[in-house]
Amino acid sequence: MMLARVADSLYWIGRYVERAEHVARLADVMLTATLDRAETAAQVARIALSAVGEATPEKIATPFESARALALDRMDGSSVVSSLALARENARQVRDQITSETWERLNLVHLRLSGSGANKSFNDGSSAFLHDIIADLHLFKGAADATMSHGEGWRFLLLGAHLERAQLIGRLLEVCFGRGGERLDHSTLTAVLRMSCALEPYLRVYTADVRARPILEFLLLNPEFPRSVRFSTDEIEAHLSVLSRHTEAVHVGPGRLAGRLKARLQYADMAEIERDGSHVFLAGVLTECGSIHSGVYDAFVAYPLEMRLPA
Amino acid sequence: MATAHIAEEIDRAAALETAAMAGETEARAPYDEMHAPDGSVRPHFAIMARRLAALGPGELDERQRTLERFFLLQGITFTVYGAESSTERIIPTDLLPRIIPADEWSRIEAGLVQRLQALNLFLADIYGERMILKDGVVPRELVLGAPSYRREMQGLYVPHQAYANVCGSDLIRQEDGEYAVLEDNLRVPSGVSYMLANREASKRTFPGTFRLAGVRQIDRYPDLLLSTLRSMAEWRPNPQVVVLTPGVYNSAYYEHAYLARLMGAPLVEGRDLVVHDNMVYMRTTTGLRRIDVIYRRVDDDFIDPLTFRRDSSLGVPGLFNAYRAGTVVMCNAPGTGVADDKAVYAYVPAIIRYYLGEEPILPNIETFLCREPAQLSHVLANLDKLVVKAVGASGGYGMLIGPHASAAQREEFAQALKADPANYIAQPTIQLSTAPCLIDGEVDSRHVDLRPFILSGDKITVTPGALTRVALRKGSLVVNSSQGGGSKDTWVLAGPGDDLS
Repeated sequence: MMLARVADSLYWIGRYVERAEHVARLADVMLTATLDRAETAAQVARIALSAVGEATPEKIATPFESARALALDRMDGSSVVSSLALARENARQVRDQITSETWERLNLVHLRLSGSGANKSFNDGSSAFLHDIIADLHLFKGAADATMSHGEGWRFLLLGAHLERAQLIGRLLEVCFGRGGERLDHSTLTAVLRMSCALEPYLRVYTADVRARPILEFLLLNPEFPRSVRFSTDEIEAHLSVLSRHTEAVHVGPGRLAGRLKARLQYADMAEIERDGSHVFLAGVLTECGSIHSGVYDAFVAYPLEMRLPA
Repeated sequence: MATAHIAEEIDRAAALETAAMAGETEARAPYDEMHAPDGSVRPHFAIMARRLAALGPGELDERQRTLERFFLLQGITFTVYGAESSTERIIPTDLLPRIIPADEWSRIEAGLVQRLQALNLFLADIYGERMILKDGVVPRELVLGAPSYRREMQGLYVPHQAYANVCGSDLIRQEDGEYAVLEDNLRVPSGVSYMLANREASKRTFPGTFRLAGVRQIDRYPDLLLSTLRSMAEWRPNPQVVVLTPGVYNSAYYEHAYLARLMGAPLVEGRDLVVHDNMVYMRTTTGLRRIDVIYRRVDDDFIDPLTFRRDSSLGVPGLFNAYRAGTVVMCNAPGTGVADDKAVYAYVPAIIRYYLGEEPILPNIETFLCREPAQLSHVLANLDKLVVKAVGASGGYGMLIGPHASAAQREEFAQALKADPANYIAQPTIQLSTAPCLIDGEVDSRHVDLRPFILSGDKITVTPGALTRVALRKGSLVVNSSQGGGSKDTWVLAGPGDDLS
């Protein structure tokens, strides 16, 4: 049992932190790609920018400025600094629910990013700067895992993180392999793996055979890689099934949706997916994720009071 | 907790103080907490004096910076909202603890218990039989006409007659070293999180000295608060306690979250609560859950838009009716403000005598009630020496600081006093005592006051510690954080019979 508002905040902390980490990684990969051939650099920039927003020709042409905006632009709601400010604001509202260790990690990275020195740090060494942010966010997750009770609040935190992750990776795959996707060269495909933090785990499974099909398969269906859509879906389902235990049977909506999505990914077949077009499958997954999000709200946060009043 | 104004509630008291203390031209020297008049170090400060002497140059400064990092990391900050962006600042904290010897403390403690006992009895009487008014000890219109008087509380049962469950009295030390009460804060006093955070800080800074000195522990405060709150709902087997906060933008939000966390009680906002059938519930992930005790950090005016201010969005519609029905307890009770009213303050010694038949252990600051013709003429004759305050005003408005005012200002006030004498009180200007503080890496003395915290439920307990507020500007007597004030830890030393805890 916990306050509905608190569950909502923890869920959003999970989402915002996940988003911040993803965007920081995309910015970093985009910058690294500028060292590559011009066409590759443009292709990578287009993918990274489309995956989290809009890829205009001007933005693609100025990857350094675009990466800085992804990291530090306060006016952009999906930038790292904005996401972390929101995560931290939510954490402040549930300060009594998270451990000091967890709070400190989030507060620290927020202070670093929103401080006056952030711009200079980025200009002085953008890659190191982004790398440190990602490392700090891993520390946050580690602190949450190691110090928070693995109860309801922690589950809402992780539910948010995995739902966000499934949607972010799903969106990235849609940009790369969806309808009208151009042919991606080897360097770009490697960059896509980096954007998902998947390069090393991928190579371990498929060796240095970097091709579109196995990448799609790995990021969509691999049961062990923690950023694959399937893995996140398994987690979402697991957390929801525990969280739903204490709500009455009529409110099992999101758990049912998650179970169905989990099964779809678990029993999916690459040949079938390709036959129907991977964009169809990916769009279906993203729609399902959206429905789970609404289902979580209906069941746990914004439920109608009439149904819950004591008799 | 937070605010560019260490918290409005603290400042409310300080407004009166500002007035009383502003006479910086006063001839009498302030009481020095550390040194006797002959320049020798007072015995209870000896250990600290030796420690300070042994520290190398820059060492204190280094520790100060460590402390500031600790506060920043913990988020013990207040937010300064600007047009473009908001920045967070830490609360100015002074490293050097103020030290109170055991014998002084036992007198303070006894005085505070006595005072709160009497004030609770006063509130029970005012919202009950009103004997004290019938006996003419306190003027009827003074109480019933006060804006903080809540007609809605008339005749309500309050367990243990504990109206002010949490009280934070402001004490000052007069030139002769005697402690006196400047103001009783019985509404929603704050600052206790600073007391606890300052203690963490001073333990880190002076671990050895702390141990040697034999300082009494204060870390049971959250525990005591919880049992005090629970004692207000003894009829329920395992009462559900919550902390009600106005929300994250309130200056004391940090404190609300801090206390909730340390008590293990949910921190709720008005929107989390629902009243149905005169019972109060909170919205949880698994449905509605009944609550029994609300430690509310929302002012009376805002707790229930149906009963008090209609434009309040911080409160819970129907909460007061549930309270009336006795299904839920609010701490502090609504309407306690009538007992810490500035004009009622002058009657507290009489209130103590009336209910307890005892002499007050802690004196008041001498206060002239202009409603009394004899006192009015005294005030008018001494406007250049006194501080005059409007009873209804707060925050330093409607105030005359006699020694600093021009003849024209005094004349203007004299007219106002004659026109509406009942609306004014006057107090002499008094020096606050001074304590050593770390200023720019050097030890220098600054004016301080003292805010201890008293809990009352089935019994009254005083936590052996306090928030010492400091006027960080040299010579200043203003301890408000909005005006360069800070705070420091307060060490209450254990006496022969005292357990450290």
